[in-house]
Amino acid sequence: MSADEFDPAIERLFAQTPHFADSAFFEADVAARLNKASRVRSIALSAAGLAGGLIAVRELLGVDFQLGPDGFTAHAGGGVDSAGAQAGIQGGLAVQSLLERSGLGDAALSAMGSMGGMQMFWATAGVLVALLAAGVVKLSQQI
Amino acid sequence: MAQPLRDMHDVELAGLAAGGGRREFGELVRRHGSAVRGLLRRMGAQPALADDVAQDAFLLAFEKCAEFRGEGTFAAWIKRIAARLYLKRISKEARYVAETETEDAAPAVDSIGRVDLDEALRGLSEAERLCVSLCHGAGLSHPEIAAAMNLPLGTVKSHVKRGLDKLRARLQPGPVAIGSASHVG
Repeated sequence: MSADEFDPAIERLFAQTPHFADSAFFEADVAARLNKASRVRSIALSAAGLAGGLIAVRELLGVDFQLGPDGFTAHAGGGVDSAGAQAGIQGGLAVQSLLERSGLGDAALSAMGSMGGMQMFWATAGVLVALLAAGVVKLSQQI
Repeated sequence: MAQPLRDMHDVELAGLAAGGGRREFGELVRRHGSAVRGLLRRMGAQPALADDVAQDAFLLAFEKCAEFRGEGTFAAWIKRIAARLYLKRISKEARYVAETETEDAAPAVDSIGRVDLDEALRGLSEAERLCVSLCHGAGLSHPEIAAAMNLPLGTVKSHVKRGLDKLRARLQPGPVAIGSASHVG
């Protein structure tokens, strides 16, 4: 065998797949580790979503929404720390500003105005929880 | 009726695995697990470490399946991942830069001309063995090996050349049957 034809021959030798008697065990180990990683991720995502949702609901409980012709205002209620309440207010205002920019402000306001207080609360809480869950999923994908 | 996994192409399986298909990925593990384990052992990894790194490589590949576009083969892609993971593991010990004594191993061609690459590789120093395996087994270029091993390009080239010279010498005697497969327990 000449030196010129040696390298392809070596590559062919390397390309030959050895036979392992415990291949099935190896495949099972990989599958088990994949399942475990998937379970851990699901638990972490669920925990993060739950925690985020609980925090959002807790913050919203302390915000007193008022709807009227002057616009959307919100006041922090008692028992909630001011930073959390401010975050809730800012969130509400940001949503309202977004709706106005997209030309849906008045329609949304009139729609929200026809909703009861509790309906309004749960709708906003639902939107915030959905946004949080989407954020966590996106973050986990990037990681 | 769904196409059986065994009939599906690697690229197709990888695409489904990228969407979270663990059964499809399991088929890829079945097809390429032995090749990856074999490569790592040829690079010098002990069996337990080789299997551990191979598993890590497959888990990483599952996460990154969307990045596999099918430009090369899936086997080449997963081998490169595994080789780099193994280098990372041993780089912590900086083992491969040290010149180790080569074993005075038996000829790598048996009486009926079957070639035993694994036996022949035992005659190489650790650095030579790694460089030759990365080049011919994992398909890395010399500059890629130099970057991965943090060695000068010239050093990598000389390791590959010396390693190939030794392999040539050990695989030369007797008639050579390249087509024979090696068996590892």
